[in-house]
Order: sequence, then C-alpha cells, then structure tokens
Amino acid sequence: MTGPVIHDVHTLPGNDNVNPYAFSVDLQGQWFLQKGKMIAYYGRIEFHGIGHGRLDRLISTSFHSPLHAADWVVAEGQGKMLLADRAFDVNSYDLDEGNLTIRSGNLLAFQPSLSLKQSIIPGFLTLIGTGTFVAASNGPVVFAEPPIRVDPQALVGWADCPSPCHHYDHRYLRGFLGELRARTGIGGASGEEHQFEFVGAGTVLLQSTEQLMPELATGEVPAEPGVPGGGNHGGQSGSHVPQLPGNLGGLSRRFGL
Amino acid sequence: MPFTVLNSRMVEAGVGPGERLFSQRGAMLAYRGEVSFTPNIQGGQGGIGSMIGRRIANEATPLMTVEGNGSVMFGHGGHHVQVIDLAGETLYVEADRLLAFDGTLQQGTMFMGSQGGVMGMVRGQVTGQGLFTTTLKGHGSAAVMAHGGVIELPITPQHAVHVDPQAYVAHRGEVRNKLSTALGWREMVGRGSGEAFQLELSGQGTVYVQASEEKL
Repeated sequence: MTGPVIHDVHTLPGNDNVNPYAFSVDLQGQWFLQKGKMIAYYGRIEFHGIGHGRLDRLISTSFHSPLHAADWVVAEGQGKMLLADRAFDVNSYDLDEGNLTIRSGNLLAFQPSLSLKQSIIPGFLTLIGTGTFVAASNGPVVFAEPPIRVDPQALVGWADCPSPCHHYDHRYLRGFLGELRARTGIGGASGEEHQFEFVGAGTVLLQSTEQLMPELATGEVPAEPGVPGGGNHGGQSGSHVPQLPGNLGGLSRRFGL
Repeated sequence: MPFTVLNSRMVEAGVGPGERLFSQRGAMLAYRGEVSFTPNIQGGQGGIGSMIGRRIANEATPLMTVEGNGSVMFGHGGHHVQVIDLAGETLYVEADRLLAFDGTLQQGTMFMGSQGGVMGMVRGQVTGQGLFTTTLKGHGSAAVMAHGGVIELPITPQHAVHVDPQAYVAHRGEVRNKLSTALGWREMVGRGSGEAFQLELSGQGTVYVQASEEKL
C-alpha cells in the first residue's frame, strides 16, 4: 500500500491531470479561468478581473463575450496552477486551428491563443483557434462521431460538426394521447422523446450521466430581430429561448409511471 | 447483445432487429441508428399479473423497452455501472439498481422474507430493500448501478461472506442470505460499533458489493 503521492513544484505535471479531478497548468504568461476554479498555485501568479486597465486589450483579442466578462479572471505570471471544480472530472483538450462548442458551465479555463465567443445556441460557448482548454464534466467524457442522437442533458459539447437540431420521437408526441402523455406523464413517458441530433463530420462530447452541471449565465445577447435567444424581455414569442421539453423524464419519474 | 463498457459509468449496447432491451427510463444518453424507446407501463416482462405483483412488491421501477436497429449508450445519475453476464444462473438485485438488461433474461419478483423467518423481515428493513427483490434468470447480460465501484466477492461453501447491508448491491448463484446481528449491551447504551447488522451470504455464488454505504 503506497501512501498519497506528494507533489512539489517540480513533480507536478505540466499541463496535465494530477488526478481525474484536478488539472495542473504550467503557466508561462496568461490563462483565462472561470472565477473560483483555482485551488492552489506555486510561483508568482496574479489574478486580475477582465476588462480593467491594461487587460482591456485581451477582451478584443481573445475574449469576445463582453457580457460575461465578470465571471472570468486572467491568471498572469509564472508557476504551476491547480484547477478543479466541485470534484467533477476534469480534462484538457487541444485545438489545432479548430473550433469547439461547449456548455458554458463546463468550461474551466483556456489559453489566450484561443478566442472565446458566445454560440448562437443559448447557454453554449465556442472556442476558436489553436491552444489548450480545460473543461469539467459529470463523469468521464465519451467521444462519439455523428450521426448520433444525444440526450440533451448528457451533451457537453461538439467539435467541427454543424450545430445540432432537435429530434422528437413523433410516435409518442403526436395526437391527443401524445399530448396527454407529455403534459401529465400518465400513460408513460419514456423520458427519451426528445434528443439533439448531430449529422455531418466532427466529434460529439458526452458526459456519462444525464445530471447537468449547474449552468453559468453566458450573458444576454442583443435583443435584435433574427438573433436567437435575443429579446428576452417578452414580446415576440417567436424569438424566445426555446423551451426544451427535456425534463419530461423527470416529470414521469415523479409520477412513478 | 453484450454490453460494451465505455467507462466506469457508461455502457453501450447494440440492438438488432427482433431483439429488445429493457432499461430504466431516462437512462439513455445517446444512440445511433433507428431505435425506439417505448415506455413500459408493466415495468418489465410478463403480463398484467406480473405487473400487479411488482407493484405490490414495490419492485416496479419505471422501465422502457428499447427496440430497433442500432446501438444505445446508457448511464444514470453518475453512478458506477457493473455489467454482469449470466449463463443460466439467477441474479438477485433491487429493481431500482437495474440500468438495463437483455430482453432474453427472465424477470421475476421474489419474496425474500421467506428466508429466515422474522430475521428475514428485519433484514428487509435494515437493508432498505424491503421484503421483495427482483430476479433475472437466463442467458444474457445486465448492467447494474452502484454508488462507487463494485467489488465482486466469490462465495464458496467453505467461506461465507459477511456484507454491510448498505453496501450490498446484488448476488447470484445458489446463495442463502441471513442477517446476523452482533447486538450487545454496548448497542443498548449507545456505544455501538455501527456494524451491528451484517448480511451473511453462504452457499455457492458471487456477491457484488459497492465501495460506499450510500444507497442509490
């Protein structure tokens, strides 16, 4: 039986996982990280809020989401920095001239060589460019290739493929009985009437459970006609954030049917 | 159609024409191909009689039938998943621990209170299992959920296994189980060891134990 592994500044891995739940960044320069995800560091590292003073420049080069800048900080300096998030599984991903869209609550940190943008799908962020980023997931991540249909709650993100569309199992949603099932759960909802469908070439990232990580507000988008998710202030229902019937399963489980 | 283990918490199962799987409702994470998920009001196999039996026994977990042609990934609640392959034996497991199982397995409900009389009843209370448990019999695989990883302990006639009732997940084979108590004066004055009740499994078979004392 070996005791716990004791790390010092030299034995800590550089840009790799210490264990499934903690990631060590070999910091030489700058990294973006979500507030509160740093658990420890060696060396000289300073943490600054984004958008103040000389860091203002960074917003225009790699942080294109001015509306949620308040949730992010820049770590600057030299040393080793440990990141973790509520004991969720943590992984790093390398992008090479690529793009990856990820659920906003799952992204922990990224290199400034990547640029972060809000996806037009509410609640998701897109990273574009070359570099490394760190993301958390509830359970290990499974990579799958399209065509695939994914439970909305199990989706972490996707890379290189077109944005997903909704898929409804019409056999269960159509007609009077379908409506009754959907509204009451009586007659049995399988909880799987609605999925996200991915087609095309790329990779889909799934987490191993349908329990979501708490979502992070991605900031509002301008209320303009034609902007999905815009116009959150009532008015045209056409441009509302789509109401996902993905919690039907929860409803039916509560009914015990 | 055996289950493929993707990681500690996720399994993938293939479905072909004419085959079917049962799975806990809402446990599908993703699928390929044309697969349909039908809510199964009866909570599994058998007719209305079996359904009423399961309702009475409180072993009626919401299940769905998975049919079609493709492959399906299952996972639920972040629990660890253990695939158990059966070759003719019987698996005894609580219905709410079943993530998915082959349609070729025969599902039944068993009265556990008959084993050991009054102690059998107490056993059901202590383990939180109640008096009934679900049985799966035949040739096929079942994916069982547990909190924390699963440890497989063989039971032989020479070596009985004692298990903490809260860590017990499932067992299979010709196994008798009995609640053994170590209640003494210490328990009466509130200085117990916290391990007063143990499940004693004897016979020939295997018991699955989870690395946690937390129920699902």
